[in-house]
Amino acid sequence: MASLDPISGTLGKERAAHLLRRLTFGATRKEIDLFATKSIDEALVLLFETRPAPEPPIDPVSGLPFTTFSPDVSGQGDLVNYFKAWLYGQMLKSGTNSIEKLTFFLHTHFTAIADVIFNGSDLYYQNQLLRKYALGNFKELALKICIDNGMLTLLDNKLNENTKTNENFAREFLELYTIGKGLEIGPGNYTTYSEQDVQAAAKVLSGWDLDNKTYSSIDPDTGLPTGKMKLNSALLANKHDASTKVFSAAFQNRQITPNEIVTGQEDYATEAAARQEIKDLVDMIFAQQATALNICRKIYRFFVFYNITPEVESNVIGPLAQTFIASNFEIKPVLDQLLKSQHFFDQDDTVTANNVNGAIIKSPLEVTIGTMRFFNVSLPDMYTDYEKFYELVKGVLGSIFNQGMDFYNPLDVAGYDAYFQAPGYNRNWISPNYLARRYQFAQYLIEGRFKTVDELTTVQLDPLAYLNEPGNISDPSSGNAVANEILDYLLPQNISTERYNFFLNEVLLDNLPIYEWNMEWTKYKTTGDDMGVRMQLNAFLNAVLQSAEYQLS
Amino acid sequence: MKRRDFLEKLPALAVPFLLNGIPIRLLGENNELYRLAASNPESDRVLILIQLHGGNDGLNMLIPVDQYNEYYNLRSNIAIPQTGIRKYITLDDTLPDNQKIGLHPDMTGAKALYDQGKMAVVQSVAYENFNQSHFRSRDIWFMGGGSDDYYSSGWAGRYLDNVYPGYPDAYPTPDMPDPLAIEVGNGFSLAFHRTTGVPVSIAINDPDGFFNLITTTGTTLPPELVDTYYADELNYIIDVDKQSTKYAGRLKEIYGKGSNTSGVVYPAKYPLNAPGSYANNDLAPQLKMIARLLSGRCKTRIFLVSLTKFDTHAQQVEKADTSSGRHAALLYHISSTMKAFQDDLKGLGIEDRVMSVTFSEFGRRAESNASYGTDHGTAAPLLVFGKCVKPGVIGTNPDLSNLQYDNITQQYDYRQVFTTLVHDWMGASPSALQATHFDGFVDKKLDLVTCTSSAVGIKNEFINDRYRLNSCYPNPTKGLTTFTFYLNGQQQVSLDLYDTMGRKVKTIFEGEAGIGLHTFEVDLSELITGSYIYTLQAGLLKASKTVAVVR
Repeated sequence: MASLDPISGTLGKERAAHLLRRLTFGATRKEIDLFATKSIDEALVLLFETRPAPEPPIDPVSGLPFTTFSPDVSGQGDLVNYFKAWLYGQMLKSGTNSIEKLTFFLHTHFTAIADVIFNGSDLYYQNQLLRKYALGNFKELALKICIDNGMLTLLDNKLNENTKTNENFAREFLELYTIGKGLEIGPGNYTTYSEQDVQAAAKVLSGWDLDNKTYSSIDPDTGLPTGKMKLNSALLANKHDASTKVFSAAFQNRQITPNEIVTGQEDYATEAAARQEIKDLVDMIFAQQATALNICRKIYRFFVFYNITPEVESNVIGPLAQTFIASNFEIKPVLDQLLKSQHFFDQDDTVTANNVNGAIIKSPLEVTIGTMRFFNVSLPDMYTDYEKFYELVKGVLGSIFNQGMDFYNPLDVAGYDAYFQAPGYNRNWISPNYLARRYQFAQYLIEGRFKTVDELTTVQLDPLAYLNEPGNISDPSSGNAVANEILDYLLPQNISTERYNFFLNEVLLDNLPIYEWNMEWTKYKTTGDDMGVRMQLNAFLNAVLQSAEYQLS
Repeated sequence: MKRRDFLEKLPALAVPFLLNGIPIRLLGENNELYRLAASNPESDRVLILIQLHGGNDGLNMLIPVDQYNEYYNLRSNIAIPQTGIRKYITLDDTLPDNQKIGLHPDMTGAKALYDQGKMAVVQSVAYENFNQSHFRSRDIWFMGGGSDDYYSSGWAGRYLDNVYPGYPDAYPTPDMPDPLAIEVGNGFSLAFHRTTGVPVSIAINDPDGFFNLITTTGTTLPPELVDTYYADELNYIIDVDKQSTKYAGRLKEIYGKGSNTSGVVYPAKYPLNAPGSYANNDLAPQLKMIARLLSGRCKTRIFLVSLTKFDTHAQQVEKADTSSGRHAALLYHISSTMKAFQDDLKGLGIEDRVMSVTFSEFGRRAESNASYGTDHGTAAPLLVFGKCVKPGVIGTNPDLSNLQYDNITQQYDYRQVFTTLVHDWMGASPSALQATHFDGFVDKKLDLVTCTSSAVGIKNEFINDRYRLNSCYPNPTKGLTTFTFYLNGQQQVSLDLYDTMGRKVKTIFEGEAGIGLHTFEVDLSELITGSYIYTLQAGLLKASKTVAVVR
């Protein structure tokens, strides 16, 4: 029976690998071995260690960080691309720290579409906001996202005014970002909210503007820029709807009204009152249990498995939602409870049919970053060698695009299909093209095809370097050790003897006897001629990295 | 020489070899004679689904001419003009008032197809308890269900699964060597999901590129496993991998054999003002590829193409010219592409095999917003294209004085349209209809499909009602006679008189003529007695009749 009761003891290799696959973008063998010696509590302390916010990306035209005002700057098209590269670089560097993956999770929830927002700094600041709240208070983040510049652009809330309502953001705020939609039980009535609530929420959210020319509106809590209220000369919120907003029975017919209105030729709310209304709105939405359940399901799908059975709903999601509510919507207690649980580690029952290990198809991020991290493939430094860095990451992001992920630019305001689109969820990463492009990434990485135009810098997987670094393979002269250990640490589940023999005998050994590997390795070590071993290793890694099993986490 | 030896010595090309005048193929297991004998003509029929992603503003695509004032009042900041050089195109003056439509001025291609009897309009299509969320509504359209249904499969997936049981393992077969469905793109649409197993479609952008990609990547597949979530996901990946390999070679082969009609141009760009990303015609390459695949004898039954960016909440039009801009560009793409596509199919001789239908997750509100755009709506029109379409307009213009919360009232359920296409066009059996979940709509089918022998008569009648050279009167004549002709669209026209040797003896009229009946009284008394031929050329219409001059 699905249970959130905690596990005990040290993790061991299998549990450590599972935890790291899900909570990071990919770990090395040594990191897995380290985590194997830890208890889950110790492991989570390591994963959740707070780190200072990363420095902003450099704009090559000025040579300065984005956030510095400079007369010479790149165009937004370029700045957006530098932001994407910078973020990818942060993910690549994150190692066994979970914050980047948690930040990415929040991005899959509070969507950003780079082509629509089309502002490198807005994207950067919003991303920093998500990072700040990666293990923080989700409700507070939901409140702050309402007036974030990027979000104000994405869903047109900057156009939403008292005389011309624009419902776009209000709708998605309810449908996607907080309470979620229930069954449609009547015209415009989605159980958890109705069209009436969308319209009322839109009015609460009216009267905002971007502040992304000078970024003068700084949130004292976060130190990050926000949008600003549209105000008249008397500093009143003259584009904000000051009427009483009436919500439906789904919200207990609640009414939200400004607590301070200044009457005059027109009645306008004060800025403080208008801001308070949004806070009231968020309080009202989060007071409904459906909101906590919706968010916990999202967390579950991202980190555990996309199929939520009725048993999981009542024994896992339900209790997680209670934890979420009891903590006043802190993310960390929910993650702690989930990640320490027997359910997460498939130890809540003896039924293997419901095991979650290996059940998530990786995103192109885990495929690419995971591969590069495992084999210690490095990129130029994004702060000191930024031009080469941007050029090389562009190539990698191009491959990721072909694999079905338009990075930071999903088609839908609901985000990337893998994280919301039933029935397939993560299966949405797989189609004939997408799958073949994952395979091709491995091939290109091994061949050294990601390189700068001047061909001086390459992003390349060097299998010999990997074998030569002590501690990666116990005994590189043993074909069995090479095959077994790489397969063991890279793949989420044990493979059959027959499958192992395919990788070892057919591929690594080219159907020659096993001692041939020992001979080739010894020859390489004594003469320095690496042709034999390199070719075989390349073939072997191509097969492993282009396998169906490697796509799973 | 023994006949078998003789056959074996010929090159193994797909060149028809005549045996007693009957062509047979020399490709091993294929036997054309057998297939012709066993074939069901409907199994050659193809359906193309054209997804307009984002919610198409039907009201600015098909302007309700009979309620122009109400239309204008509801959306003056984005309304298509009624007069001037950018006014709407009168679709069909012979329709009753409440069906009179003005096409967006950039849809000249659609107008031409309508005039050729190759386009039908179905007004105000939706489903009950309409859902204005992109995702849910789009899912419903693909799912083939109602607002309460949550199938994990699509209607096209269920249909094809029934018609071609045992997919994927039992395929390819000699009768079905190709993917059951092809979607242009990279992923898998819900449309082709089945309840279990991989979807029935293959997604490609370009068959040659696909082949190169598939044949240079991947490795030996593991065996399929059982009984765990891991096994399920692994098997899914394995199945997709297998399908790619299976079909990559075949698609490249038929694409290589196929061609497009030379001289048919698929327009690449919207000619007027629209932001860059809207100006490019992303629909054209998709249909061009399909035409080529079909000409290479592709037997795929259903294709899905899509055009995005219809979610015009803001800046739907150019402020200075509401007839151009983002939405106009998208409509241009649909219209010009379908015209080129039909011409291409005609040139390839496969016009009667294909029917296409546009659809969108919803229409948009009748009232525009202050951002020169429109918000999510409900019902919207569909366009159906094809040689075998029963041309005309089904349904009336939306009743703009009877809106529901600013939304257009539904006239037809979308499943009526799809059921018609699946049953009348694709020839679905009762069991196929049941598997598709369309059996409840068979008695609510629409009159959209016509490809029987009487169809030619219907088609001619449609065209004749709308473009017509009448017999002149009096005939025979001693001198004066009156020529009349009817046009359904503005054209450059010439009406000339020829003698029986083919020499032009008189120009009756030459110039621009608009919609309606045109009358010319002419005096033929100076001509010598005998038979003469008068010929009208007006755009695509060319008609001739005879007149006798007597004394």
